[in-house]
Amino acid sequence: MAETVTPDLLPAAVPVQEQQDKPESDLEPGFLVICWNDPVNFMDYVTHVFQMVFGWPRKKAEFHMLQVHEQGKSVLARESLEKAEHYVHQLQKYHLHATMERDE
Amino acid sequence: MGRREKDLFLELLSLYPRTPPAPRALSKNSVLPDAEASQRMLDEALAEQRVQNRQLLQQLMLDLARFQVRPTGMKLVLSEADTEWLLQVLNDIRVGSWVILGSPEDPHALDELTEETVPSVWAMEMSGYFQMHLLKALTGD
Repeated sequence: MAETVTPDLLPAAVPVQEQQDKPESDLEPGFLVICWNDPVNFMDYVTHVFQMVFGWPRKKAEFHMLQVHEQGKSVLARESLEKAEHYVHQLQKYHLHATMERDE
Repeated sequence: MGRREKDLFLELLSLYPRTPPAPRALSKNSVLPDAEASQRMLDEALAEQRVQNRQLLQQLMLDLARFQVRPTGMKLVLSEADTEWLLQVLNDIRVGSWVILGSPEDPHALDELTEETVPSVWAMEMSGYFQMHLLKALTGD
């Protein structure tokens, strides 16, 4: 007796409309906003700047500050090109060592 | 603050801007789309900020009413917005002084104090001192 073969079910094609409704962040390449450690900026100052630029509560700002301090850098955000540029501009205005990198 | 402290504060602020206007990289490791234009925008934004901060500083230094005389000394009256740009100005002086000193890994372990290094060491330490006081005033610590 011939075996009953269970057919492979192909994933249903995603309708184009659904794809277009996906949030932009899933479709556009992302850019990481990174703050790098340096010997000159005070920890309290860095915490304050993170609170001001990102609107974070103190605890979250301190967490990222400690990452910068202990690990050499912290990824602060993943954003679109324009938004990432905006954040880097703001951080550099406070003289923090901040850059944006492609999220590979 | 005392009268001498006020004088030192104003003397310190007169050093702004101290960070060299060299371009600061928008990205360390990535090639960004339209990189030249983006870098130019950053350079222009930072240059514009320097101009604005200079104007605000001039206003502060001319506005004697900001320094209210108290029995124990003087009180500098600042809004939260004032405090933000002042923090940026002080950090520019601090970071700029550190750069002038050769960007040492440990700013507190300089080989020697010379006639050449003393002004920048003074500016770096004093700007840090006033930064910490401003931050304490903001957080209420």
